[in-house]
Amino acid sequence: MISISKLLCELDAEGDGLRYDAAADSSKPQITERKQRRPVVVWNATRRCNLYCAHCYAAAETEPAPGEFTTAEAKAFLEQLADYGVPVVLFSGGEPLVRDDLIELVAHAADLGLRPVLSTNGTLLTRERAIALQDAGLQYAGISVDGLPERNDEFRGKDGAFDAAVRGIEACLDVGLKTGLRYTITEANAPDLEGVVDLLADVGVDRFCFYHLDYGGRGAEIVDADLTPEAKRDAVRRLCDLTLEYHDRGEEIETLLVGNYVDAAFLVRYARERFGPGKAATVYEHLVRNGGDPTGERIADVDYEGNVHPTQFWQGYSLGNVRDRPFGEIWDDETNPLLAALRNREERLTGRCADCRYQSICRGASRLRALTATGDLFGPDPQCYLREDEISGDGSVVGEFAD
Amino acid sequence: MVEKARRSRVDDDGERRGTPIPQWEVFVREDETDPLRHVGSVAATDAAEAADHASRLFGWYAADLWVCPADAVERYSTRPLSESESGAGSEQEAGEAPHETGSDAETGSGSKSEPRVYEETEGTPRVNDP
Repeated sequence: MISISKLLCELDAEGDGLRYDAAADSSKPQITERKQRRPVVVWNATRRCNLYCAHCYAAAETEPAPGEFTTAEAKAFLEQLADYGVPVVLFSGGEPLVRDDLIELVAHAADLGLRPVLSTNGTLLTRERAIALQDAGLQYAGISVDGLPERNDEFRGKDGAFDAAVRGIEACLDVGLKTGLRYTITEANAPDLEGVVDLLADVGVDRFCFYHLDYGGRGAEIVDADLTPEAKRDAVRRLCDLTLEYHDRGEEIETLLVGNYVDAAFLVRYARERFGPGKAATVYEHLVRNGGDPTGERIADVDYEGNVHPTQFWQGYSLGNVRDRPFGEIWDDETNPLLAALRNREERLTGRCADCRYQSICRGASRLRALTATGDLFGPDPQCYLREDEISGDGSVVGEFAD
Repeated sequence: MVEKARRSRVDDDGERRGTPIPQWEVFVREDETDPLRHVGSVAATDAAEAADHASRLFGWYAADLWVCPADAVERYSTRPLSESESGAGSEQEAGEAPHETGSDAETGSGSKSEPRVYEETEGTPRVNDP
């Protein structure tokens, strides 16, 4: 995740410490040096969902799927994560709220010192459930809204899904549970970007996560619906502009970019154009500390059957299964050549990524998109929207300071 | 005398792995004289697709590549999830085999092979009403 609001507007938010801080300077329990070395774990607690979204990376279904963890197995799994020092567990799905033991599991995670957060379509969130989740220790609920009502409902395969999600957001806000809105951009909903951000401000949400489409699960079936790289660049620029406009008006919304670390390079360029080389240097320094695309390092995914994936989007390949081996063993096992290669990918990147001047803050962006689109695991990400003249050159990446 | 580790059968809740897309365990050999190494699994509808998928992931590395249906593997481990402190094994009745246990005593929600879901999400999915 790349925080536009932190990097451009210096708005501090809860997750920024894990992304940009030096552990030695932080007093927060989630920001120890050990925890910064451990991944945030996305757990697909169930494959079942009450919606059928066109872009679902987990290819969730409305019918039950066998093989998901029992309550006892889920608790044992959470203990594996806590033993390994994982800082945050994101309960995801499918739709995690269809599990009737979700509140019990959130409480267990909180008791273990994990920071429990939730990714949901919001349509099953009532005030009562929001209270119960908050009492259990839930720290944050991210709710997906992929456009204004008509387009969202079409995308999500259910009439009324938009209104229900907004009611879910309001239920969380009513009880004081921190809530964010997640939006995955495609050709179909790109015109709704500003409308969705305005909606967020209207209902009182102060966190917006902009997701690029990754090519996993059903996302791989709608690659044609992805924006062109040029249109993607335009959308990211619009979101940067919007963030600055909101902050100029005193409305401190947190805006984040997810799923394409080309955005890191764009943000440095944007900061240089808008504020000059001093600001660009600060942004660049934060992004170097952030470390570029987190696949196989700072983010991990465990699916409903226990398979461990290098990111939540990469469901077609598993490093191992936590039913066989504890999570920490699987994650530390660099005898797996793919895991080792992902962690040292700079040595293997080819094409325009090999000599890119932004390699240290992007790291080739999505290996999954490169693999899906070209068959080449180490080839360029097809969603890199930077021009050749922008990624090459000998000058400073942050621009020249005036004498 | 060599002390033998105590291994338990890995409990998959009686279900095959990789639903709905079958899972294939992947093994690779880097050089001709190296042993085969397990490097995870891929999801694929058949062996040819699994081999193709695995080749794209490991072709740069491997001299040899094998795929094997994940549900054809019987797994035994010294530390399976079901044997850990809160795992299913800790809740089982005395004398009950690990793979016959579930957590339903705790949740009271019926068959172990059925995901535990809220009543309103069974059958036709619905969203919350105003």
